[in-house]
Amino acid sequence: MKPETDIVELLISNAGRRVDPPEDAHRQVLGAATDAFRRKSARHRQGRWFAVAAAIATLAVGAVLMTQWNSPTGGDDFATIERVTGSVELAHGDGWQPLAENRGSLGTGRRLRTQPDGRAALRLAGGASLRLAGETEILLDAPGRIFVQHGTIYVDGGVRTGADPVEVVTPGGTAREIGTQFELQVAGARLRLRVREGSVSIDQGGRSLVGTAGEQIMIDDFGGVRRSVIERASVDWAWAEAVAPVPDVDGRPATQLIGWVARETGRRLRYESPAVEERAASVILHGNIHHLPPLAALEAMLATTDLEYVLDGDTMEIRARSEPIAEP
Amino acid sequence: MAELVHVDRALARRILGGDEAAFRDLFDRFFPRLYRFALARVPRDPEAARDIVQQTFCQAIERLDTYRGEAALYTWFCQICRNAVADHYRRNSRSAGRVVLLEDLPDARAILESLAAPEADEPETGAMREQVHRLVEATLDALPGRYGEALEWKYIDGLSVREIAARMALGEKATESLLTRARESFREAIAGIF
Repeated sequence: MKPETDIVELLISNAGRRVDPPEDAHRQVLGAATDAFRRKSARHRQGRWFAVAAAIATLAVGAVLMTQWNSPTGGDDFATIERVTGSVELAHGDGWQPLAENRGSLGTGRRLRTQPDGRAALRLAGGASLRLAGETEILLDAPGRIFVQHGTIYVDGGVRTGADPVEVVTPGGTAREIGTQFELQVAGARLRLRVREGSVSIDQGGRSLVGTAGEQIMIDDFGGVRRSVIERASVDWAWAEAVAPVPDVDGRPATQLIGWVARETGRRLRYESPAVEERAASVILHGNIHHLPPLAALEAMLATTDLEYVLDGDTMEIRARSEPIAEP
Repeated sequence: MAELVHVDRALARRILGGDEAAFRDLFDRFFPRLYRFALARVPRDPEAARDIVQQTFCQAIERLDTYRGEAALYTWFCQICRNAVADHYRRNSRSAGRVVLLEDLPDARAILESLAAPEADEPETGAMREQVHRLVEATLDALPGRYGEALEWKYIDGLSVREIAARMALGEKATESLLTRARESFREAIAGIF
């Protein structure tokens, strides 16, 4: 055997340069590991927050504690509360506090949950609308990123330009919206994605699945995938429509309300003729439609005009009213 | 080693705190090394190696808050990777064909000495040589910092100390010192196996 000093050179030069892994393996493992990292860090922060809150609860004087309980906000602004119905709660220390519809802002790290009768609509800092169905719990993890522990959420990315896509992290994978409307239901590792408009990608275990408008993807506990077709305008979306943040239409043209209703109900918008579209643009609305579901709001507002709407499958057509408006 | 473990503990804390740059740094450093580590244990099955490394990363990150810094973080990942390899063989009922690595052999000095017979062409000698080569890869992967790169530049690429110093943005004396430490670390690691 050669002297040890030579063994080092002999072994290394004989072995040759170490082989780099294939690029696709790198990409796949990085995707899965990144998802694992995000889930873990979200849970870790959540746990740490609990620990800190518990310590505060033990040590702090009542006045300090009360000050904290009265504040609905976290650190930096993450989302604005737009609508709350039923029982919606915000985590405080080791307990939960009812969330008021006060248009306050919520910071990173805050947790929300809804009871079976609760619904909530938040406006994220990037402009997207986030809605929570009943029995849902989320963590506002980081700007543009939400962790869904369980339950059902609806995201409307709207028509934002240049905004980062919203990322929804769940125990079963990460969904990224691409200028779209979708619903995601989370139960452990099981996911149900329903895409109403645009497309959504789900990164799960290193693989990427893309759902497009009118498609439902179900992923079971073992990673099995089932795809099916869904209706973009059906009663299944009613919960999200019911909690939709209502725009201020007072003094605005009817076309604005009509466009909002079509989008919220997942329908294509069609005007009977260019003349009808022109007419709608010239009608200025007065009053407000607070707390009315989209179609009811449209019905109420158009009742005072010479326009009406007709639903035809997934299309909403605006027509000139066939019968004159009755005089009061 | 104590300093390395201290650094690793800090790295683990940053990752748990949500520091994505720290996570990416760890991934970029560990992924190629773990991939080779796994591939050596499931030879000629790159898909299995990829899945094993994926399982390793996901499990390691999931358990990262249990890392106490008693060993280097890479060593800790390697242990999880070994378990993932065992899972792989259990799932595939292939324990009979399981690869036994040099590290597991009670007396491997004779095998190492087979390198002194480069003309040997018996198939079993070729297989042994492949294992020794893999062992060298694994040893280089396990060296701290950039020792592995420095040794490859010197003994495979034949770079001078000055050229290595330029690549590492170090002075020549510091590079000489680093190479000495790298050689010692490599020799100690090999001696630990045999």
